[in-house]
Amino acid sequence: MENKKITGDGAHAEIEKNTTGADSVNNDNINLSDSILSQKPGTRKPLYIVFRSFFIIICSILAALSLILIMLYVVPVLKEFSPRQKTEITNNQELKKDPLFKKQINALTKDVQRLSLKFNAYTSGQSYIVINTIENRFSLYTNKKLIREGFCSSGSYTMLQTSGNKKWIFKTPKGKYWIHGKTTNPVWKRPDWSFVEEGSPIPSKDDFSRYEYGVLGDYALALGDGYMIHGTIYKRFLGMPVTHGCVRLNDEDLKVIFNTLNIGSKVYIF
Amino acid sequence: METETTDKKPRGKMTFIVTISIITVFIIYYSVMSMISPVRKLEEIKNEFGAKTAEKNDVDQRILMDSTYLKLLKEKAFLQSRIAMAQTDSIYLTLDLADSTANIEISGVVVHKSKMKSLKTSKILMAGNENVILSMLATPFTISHAFATIKKEPVMIKMAPKDTSEYKPDIMPDTSITEPVNYILEMNGGIRIYIYQEETVKFSDRISHLSFDLNDRLRDTWNALKSVAVLKVPEYHPFIKIRLPRTEAKIIYRAIPKNGQIAVFS
Repeated sequence: MENKKITGDGAHAEIEKNTTGADSVNNDNINLSDSILSQKPGTRKPLYIVFRSFFIIICSILAALSLILIMLYVVPVLKEFSPRQKTEITNNQELKKDPLFKKQINALTKDVQRLSLKFNAYTSGQSYIVINTIENRFSLYTNKKLIREGFCSSGSYTMLQTSGNKKWIFKTPKGKYWIHGKTTNPVWKRPDWSFVEEGSPIPSKDDFSRYEYGVLGDYALALGDGYMIHGTIYKRFLGMPVTHGCVRLNDEDLKVIFNTLNIGSKVYIF
Repeated sequence: METETTDKKPRGKMTFIVTISIITVFIIYYSVMSMISPVRKLEEIKNEFGAKTAEKNDVDQRILMDSTYLKLLKEKAFLQSRIAMAQTDSIYLTLDLADSTANIEISGVVVHKSKMKSLKTSKILMAGNENVILSMLATPFTISHAFATIKKEPVMIKMAPKDTSEYKPDIMPDTSITEPVNYILEMNGGIRIYIYQEETVKFSDRISHLSFDLNDRLRDTWNALKSVAVLKVPEYHPFIKIRLPRTEAKIIYRAIPKNGQIAVFS
């Protein structure tokens, strides 16, 4: 049972709740709901803190990323816009009539001509060959004109290593070389690595097993240090890096090169 | 409880404002220092190479700005560089920025020609004080460092068989492997030549280019931060950025020696 006592005027009413024993449970419920209501800001707070922290973390990450992006991508662009002295290039016709100007230009033109002559002298009119070890191609020139080009095989860049820690790297040397000697029907004297590579015992220096006939083709051009330009029986490998350092060519190309290049002719390998 | 929360709010706000202010000030300071660096670099170049032009007292200052005079001076500088390199038996690179070509030369003989697909240069090299830059270009640059996505020498290790029973003949090499080719050649004097492969057909090529570029930027920014932290102007690296076909880029990188030389015609 609930008695309601209304005091005051109609606008401001005060409700008094008188509770009896039977209504105490009801009253408790009201008090509980009141306490829940009073605790609401408290329960909201952890959620609010979580969201706020999450927001702050996201903002901080975005800010840090922006900062990094500015430093990595914006500042380098700004560097290119920094103020600096710029030379204004002119084409003054009056200046061109000046005797001092003419003198300077003449001196400079002579310098350029002299240097051009000096530079052009490096490319002689003699025959030379260019070996491209990256694409495994060759180009043969005579009188500064390309007369033949094609495939070749160069060093494989394999490092042969023994258990005794002996090493050989099979690469074609790069730079400027020249023909040291020319041979027809060359015989290959197998070096030590050739036996090591097969797992065979190394024979004595002049052992007959070191000599192999017909494997180098019809011609060989020596480049020094044991390197050669020669033919091959492995024609399917032309255009690939498979050799032990020598340059292999097919029979037709080798014949033309052999007949074009002389002892002393330049070989440019890159 | 209420008083505690009201106390925290201004403190948090203050921290936020102070942090933002510090970051803003730092960014401005870093940017200003970075923008000073090209000016400082040009001053360094002037001090090193400017003396040569100042020695020519009889030269009218107007001549130094004349297009005909500058064209001849450029040719002379490039020839001087090439002759200096041709006197060695080494392989070297010439970059003709006017003609967009990158050539490999050995002793004055052009052994390989490549056409640049795109080119971007630092303004300091193009629009700076022409005479000073040309004096600098008259001497070839030497590579001091290189950063690359490919190996200079792709050496494969092969263990020798113990006996003939273990021997296996060489199989045909796999030429289908197409690794991305991007590299940076850092010269003496701080000039950098960036050579990137033109092809970005595959997604992996794009990723490789992006990560290579990011690494370079991170390296640069880290070095700049170290300088700025001790109130020093960071080092500026004038650059030449080139895009070449992958094979051409690979040929150039593998052909030129580790400390090879480069001549530039601007």
